[in-house]
Amino acid sequence: MTPLIFWTFAIAVVTALACGLCGVMLVVKREAFVAEGLSHAVLPGIIFAYLLIPDRSSPWLVIAAGLSGLLMVWLVQAITSTRLVDRDAALGIVFSGLFSIGIIASNLKLKNIHFHAHCIIDGNLSLAVLKPFHLGELYVGPRAFVTMALLLLVLVLFIFIFFKELKLMAFDETTARSFGFRPGWMHSVWLALVSMTAVAAFETAGTVLVVALMITPAATVSLLTKKLSAMFWLAGFLSAASAVLGVMLALALDISAAGPISSVAGFIFLGLALAVGKR
Amino acid sequence: MNWLELIADPTFQTVLLGTTSIGFVSGALGCFAYLRRQSLVGDVIAHSSLFGVMLFFLISYLLTGQGSKSLFVLVPGAAVSGFLSLWICQWLVRNRTVREDSGLGVMLAIFFGTGILLLRCVQRSEPPIPGHRGLEGYIFGMAASMTRSDLIMIAILGAASIIAILVFWKELKAYTFDAMFSHGLGIRHQVMDALLIALLVTGIVIGVQCIGVVLMIAMLVIPAAAARQWTRSLGRMVMLAAVIGAACGVTGSVVSASVDNMPTGPVMVLAGVIIFLISILFAPGRGVLVRRSGLRSGRQSLQEMIP
Repeated sequence: MTPLIFWTFAIAVVTALACGLCGVMLVVKREAFVAEGLSHAVLPGIIFAYLLIPDRSSPWLVIAAGLSGLLMVWLVQAITSTRLVDRDAALGIVFSGLFSIGIIASNLKLKNIHFHAHCIIDGNLSLAVLKPFHLGELYVGPRAFVTMALLLLVLVLFIFIFFKELKLMAFDETTARSFGFRPGWMHSVWLALVSMTAVAAFETAGTVLVVALMITPAATVSLLTKKLSAMFWLAGFLSAASAVLGVMLALALDISAAGPISSVAGFIFLGLALAVGKR
Repeated sequence: MNWLELIADPTFQTVLLGTTSIGFVSGALGCFAYLRRQSLVGDVIAHSSLFGVMLFFLISYLLTGQGSKSLFVLVPGAAVSGFLSLWICQWLVRNRTVREDSGLGVMLAIFFGTGILLLRCVQRSEPPIPGHRGLEGYIFGMAASMTRSDLIMIAILGAASIIAILVFWKELKAYTFDAMFSHGLGIRHQVMDALLIALLVTGIVIGVQCIGVVLMIAMLVIPAAAARQWTRSLGRMVMLAAVIGAACGVTGSVVSASVDNMPTGPVMVLAGVIIFLISILFAPGRGVLVRRSGLRSGRQSLQEMIP
């Protein structure tokens, strides 16, 4: 195995793990479509940050994209709170509106630079492998791997430290409140983490894969168990397995990995759904 | 290019007619999905249609040696995979411990992901498959490449779905607002469900080529959500949503024809978003600002009453 192929697998696996863990809470809280919304809503942030600072490795890209993800969450909340439109419709309107702004800006200003449709949809794993990250003189690994691994570490620590709070938030907000927790605050922090993951994964994975990796492993796991800790472990395992199998398929077909990884995760779901989880 | 030249240009005429009728039809059909709180179902059908489009493109290539991009081939494909994804999701929700939102999300991921897989394989294939250029356009829409025959397909299916709405108006109205009541009238739920899904799928598949699978949901939800603010009557809501959709279509084609590199679909969506924002701010009786000024004047008159 050449180093290039090794790092391709490594980036895919850390990305899949981070997205898979985020997805568990989304599926448990019946917010699966927040993943679909976020994966589209980060685009205008990335494009506008790039227009201001034309450097693809600038951390401002990630920050701006995170902000536009949060802007989506806030706008949906604001529109829903008027009680004029229900939440699903508000989500659809806001994410498609933000995504349109991103597409128009990139078409007008960035024609033929690296933001064409292929990158938005599939991400660019093969390019991400080539961008190195050095610590002093030492080559640590591709930059995308380092970013995703750090984010994964933050997510895992957060889940370990606040597991009790997450559990209360997931299953019974009223009880949580009576214990003196603040589920609303916890929820916002969690969505901020999900939004950062969507952003960081966007560059390597693109919109298809962010949605697929956030929703599919978690939904598969919800067929098998209702225990939150088991869901986190299994979702992590399943998303990593889909990533490895998906990249193998992508290398065999010589295409970008986003489509194959989503199909593999999807067919694992379908296969398990036929076998288990009967009502 | 000045206005007269633009209007006389046959390519522009085709695009204008196409986007306007797509906006009109999807605006009208979107109302039923919106009122039944199924806005995101439309998103799933739209994304899933990519798989069917790619599959039927490949089948047409295997049968004739030339990949066809005619809507007469690709629209049935899109419809088949749109239906299939919803059917699998409904089966899962009924028979397995899968909730509707995650079931729909997974279907989106599977069908769209596999669609992208097929698309990338087609683009990579050696020797190249004739006719594969432009398939990428299905993702973000390619209004500019609309042909006369596409227009005919859009007109036939659009007219058929509008006629279906008119013919089954009473049943649709009863079922949308009060399913139990409509059951009492002898209207069968399964039939109405099938009819509504068929209408939704038709509205989506004629639009995906022009607006793209990613943004199609906007053309279903936005006109309906905007129109809902102005009226309480279903009839007026459907008509208003159709007109708003058509207005978005006109704006999209005119703006993209007059500015270089301006994509049609996203402009249609943004035109819709602007109309939606105006509606939730200013609609009489419901609008946020209207309600606020009503509260203020109410408070004032209350204070005047207290000595």
